Amino acid sequence: MDITVSVNGAARAASVEARKTLADFLREDLDLTGTHVGCEHGVCGACTVIVDGRAVRSCLMLAVQAAGSEVTTIEGLAPDGALGPLQQAMRDSHSFQCGFCTPGFVMQASAFLRAHPDAGEQEIREALSGNICRCTGYQSIIDGVLLAARRSREG
Amino acid sequence: MAQIAAQRYTGASVKRSEDPRILAGRGRYIDDLKLPGMLHAAFVRSPLAHARVLAVDAAAARALPGVVAVLTGADLEAVTIPGQDPLFAMMAGPGPKPEYTLLATDKVRFAGDPVAVVVAESRYLAEDGCELVEVDYEGLPPVVSAAFALDPASPPLFANLGDNIIGPHKRSEFGDVAGVFAAADRVAEFRIDVHRHQNVPMEGRGCVASYDAGSGTLTVHAATQSVHVTRMGAAMRLGIDADKVRVVAGDIGGSFGLKIGASREELAVAAASRALGRPVKWVEDRSENLAASGQAREESFEVRAAVSADGDLLGLDVAMVIDTGAYPVMGTMVPGIIEMMLPGPYKLAALGFESTAVTTNKASYIAYRGPWASETFVRERVLDLLAKDLGLDPLEIRLRNIAPRTDPPFTMITGRPLAGVTAKESLERIAEVVDIPAFRRRQAEERARGRYLGIGLATFIEAAPGPRSPEGRSGPMGMEFMRLALAGDGVVTLFTGQMPHGQSHQTTLAQIAADEFGVPFEQVRVVVGDSDVVPFGLTGGSRSATMTGGAALHGARQLKGKVLDFAAHLIEASAQDLEIVDGQVQVRGDPDSAIPVAEVARQAASGEFGADVDTNLEVEASFDGGEGGWSGGSHCAIVEVDAETGLVRIERYVAAEDCGALINPAVVEGQIRGGIAQGIGAVLLERSAYDQDGNYQSATFMDYLLPTACDIPRIEIEHLQTVPLDADVNFRGVGEGGMIIAPPTLVNAIEDALTPFGVRIYEQHLPPARILELIDTADAG
Ligand code: FES
Ligand code: FES
Repeated sequence: MDITVSVNGAARAASVEARKTLADFLREDLDLTGTHVGCEHGVCGACTVIVDGRAVRSCLMLAVQAAGSEVTTIEGLAPDGALGPLQQAMRDSHSFQCGFCTPGFVMQASAFLRAHPDAGEQEIREALSGNICRCTGYQSIIDGVLLAARRSREG
Repeated sequence: MAQIAAQRYTGASVKRSEDPRILAGRGRYIDDLKLPGMLHAAFVRSPLAHARVLAVDAAAARALPGVVAVLTGADLEAVTIPGQDPLFAMMAGPGPKPEYTLLATDKVRFAGDPVAVVVAESRYLAEDGCELVEVDYEGLPPVVSAAFALDPASPPLFANLGDNIIGPHKRSEFGDVAGVFAAADRVAEFRIDVHRHQNVPMEGRGCVASYDAGSGTLTVHAATQSVHVTRMGAAMRLGIDADKVRVVAGDIGGSFGLKIGASREELAVAAASRALGRPVKWVEDRSENLAASGQAREESFEVRAAVSADGDLLGLDVAMVIDTGAYPVMGTMVPGIIEMMLPGPYKLAALGFESTAVTTNKASYIAYRGPWASETFVRERVLDLLAKDLGLDPLEIRLRNIAPRTDPPFTMITGRPLAGVTAKESLERIAEVVDIPAFRRRQAEERARGRYLGIGLATFIEAAPGPRSPEGRSGPMGMEFMRLALAGDGVVTLFTGQMPHGQSHQTTLAQIAADEFGVPFEQVRVVVGDSDVVPFGLTGGSRSATMTGGAALHGARQLKGKVLDFAAHLIEASAQDLEIVDGQVQVRGDPDSAIPVAEVARQAASGEFGADVDTNLEVEASFDGGEGGWSGGSHCAIVEVDAETGLVRIERYVAAEDCGALINPAVVEGQIRGGIAQGIGAVLLERSAYDQDGNYQSATFMDYLLPTACDIPRIEIEHLQTVPLDADVNFRGVGEGGMIIAPPTLVNAIEDALTPFGVRIYEQHLPPARILELIDTADAG
């Protein structure tokens, strides 16, 4: 099927099999390998991208379902390789280790912070509880999000 | 004139050099790799735990457009060499060894055993092909429990073993076991079980293999903890000289012991690439990872404890059975380490230890963060069970039994000296930061209101690397190799065999080398992930802090010596009078004489010096671990157990740890917290469950539950003052400790909370349903 999707601000036209997931479409057809696949059944959150402003699991969505939508991936947050404020706060907080879960957390947290800039620790924990990190025990990730929120409040 | 302060990176939480790429989505994981002409593999796996394979019909799959080949067990057997897992081959002692093919031929031995590999133009098509492969099985009685495996009537998994005993029964005694037990005031007996659970890195196994027929070389792009063990496995099983196998790796999405070496699937993919003459990629999906990559820890312990009336633990006599699963990897090696480590940092005067290892129709027992962790679980559980019986507080019984720090150091009854161990100090630190008497008062008040709080303590040591042997013959962990070079642009380049998969070596090793050599942190590059750069390396066993940290320190010192020797030809001074400060070579204390190291490197490469001048600014370094040393500490958890729902809430978690001199405190704390989180998961959530027919019950994340951000509390970490043992290298490993010590800490706290119900706990997996059962049975009893 022929689809057009806006990915990180650029229109991308492609012909995809109906069964292809959005995650595989991004990774294989568009070479946007920053989106990771950790379970392909909707539990780990590694594949999280933003579709029309909402964080979604790209392993559960078909590429064809994204036709006409605006998709933002991790690559879209750091277009020229410079880290955005959330990513910088995560770096400053030593948030991650192996980094495999990272794009999913960054996308989930960035969508959440946009809607809840004043969130406290418990709300952040709940908002991120659909993302699994096996390396860190989460505290450093939560601290990164809290730091980003504080910096944005303090301007 | 600018005064440049001496750089000091070691000991500071320097920001990771890995992070800019990882946070920008520019990490390079195995599934991100695309090679021209690359094909995709998927495996046909056995739905049965134990069965004979009567026939494999791949005709329909082969006819499917897009499928390039289907290789059955027999097809691969014809082009590979039967044998064992490389880790097992390398480390298993004497004893019977099963030989098996990469894919099942005559029989399947667990649900998930690979039977055929379909290679196609895409992963989707490869999976379509798998659906079309027809396998005819004849079921055999599954051997699903260790108890059945021990029964001579159980059908042997491997015909050449004759039975299911892969590690024959063995008994050792240390100290006067019979005498100690005869003289003890009392002897307590318990059976303690640890359940099967598993690593579950967020990235599963995978590789891209590419065979070049022209040169006869195989390149494996791997997700591995050791490019060298992977190379060894590929060479062994494919029958290629090791020097014709190159293993390279990029970023790796976690492992925790899973990705050591080369799994059967990865080797089958390499063989497929050679057979087809094209690169082949395989990345396992989550259900393959859960069902087939491997599992750990299923062990049982019959324990007898000899104890005095006032709480001296005098002797232990322990009989262990370990369920190593189907194709032996790590399981047979675990009992020996458990035996050595069981006394821990305690005065224990006698230990009897026996073990038997069995094969069963389950996924293989593999290494998982602190593979010998059950020694700590058993010992720390036993101490609490004894304390309860004797009316002692958990802190009191530990302080009473802990070995004092003496000179010469106290020696564990199993033989290793406890040089520099600060176990006692760690308990004292816990008692300082957690007001235990105040907690006991609160606990009593809350109990009166029907709320059940508990406190748990546990203490451990970890040989990371462990002490130098008393005779001083060899270091504790063999040799660590490193090459270092001053590149033309003045960058100090470290080539290491370490294969980081979350440990931040590209940061920590650069910190050490930058300080020792005298350049800014940014001017050090750490090259990992290539079997060609050093003879051997492995990231695992908590070895890298000491072993590789030491190699970086001594190597940078060696390289600096070489650079100064050469620079003496550029600056009118003798090498002894030169120093390197912030990337400048200068006469000591004279910044006016400074030349940038990049200029020194450029001059060395200029060809303008005679043969008598050594212009090769490169060294080969190795490190044997120096004086070694132990990591360790004590943890404390305070929990509340809801007696209605069985839910456990962790109110507070404190870790008092000594891992030697810290290279990067943020990295150290990340390792500690991550390990604790896995330990919490193991107790409250995770279990690799099989039903009685050997069907795997935990093949999705809906069944195998991992802790989330709401399950793991904030963890308070106290770093203890370490006792330096070596003149230069006192960094010690910290990768495994959290996972070793968190389970007993948490289980001890849960049992303490349930004291009013009379609950005694002899197991490690305590999900809510099990807690309610324990309360009910204790009530009934
Ligand atoms: S890969 Fe999509 S949720 Fe795990
Ligand atoms: S950093 Fe490894 S899974 Fe999160």
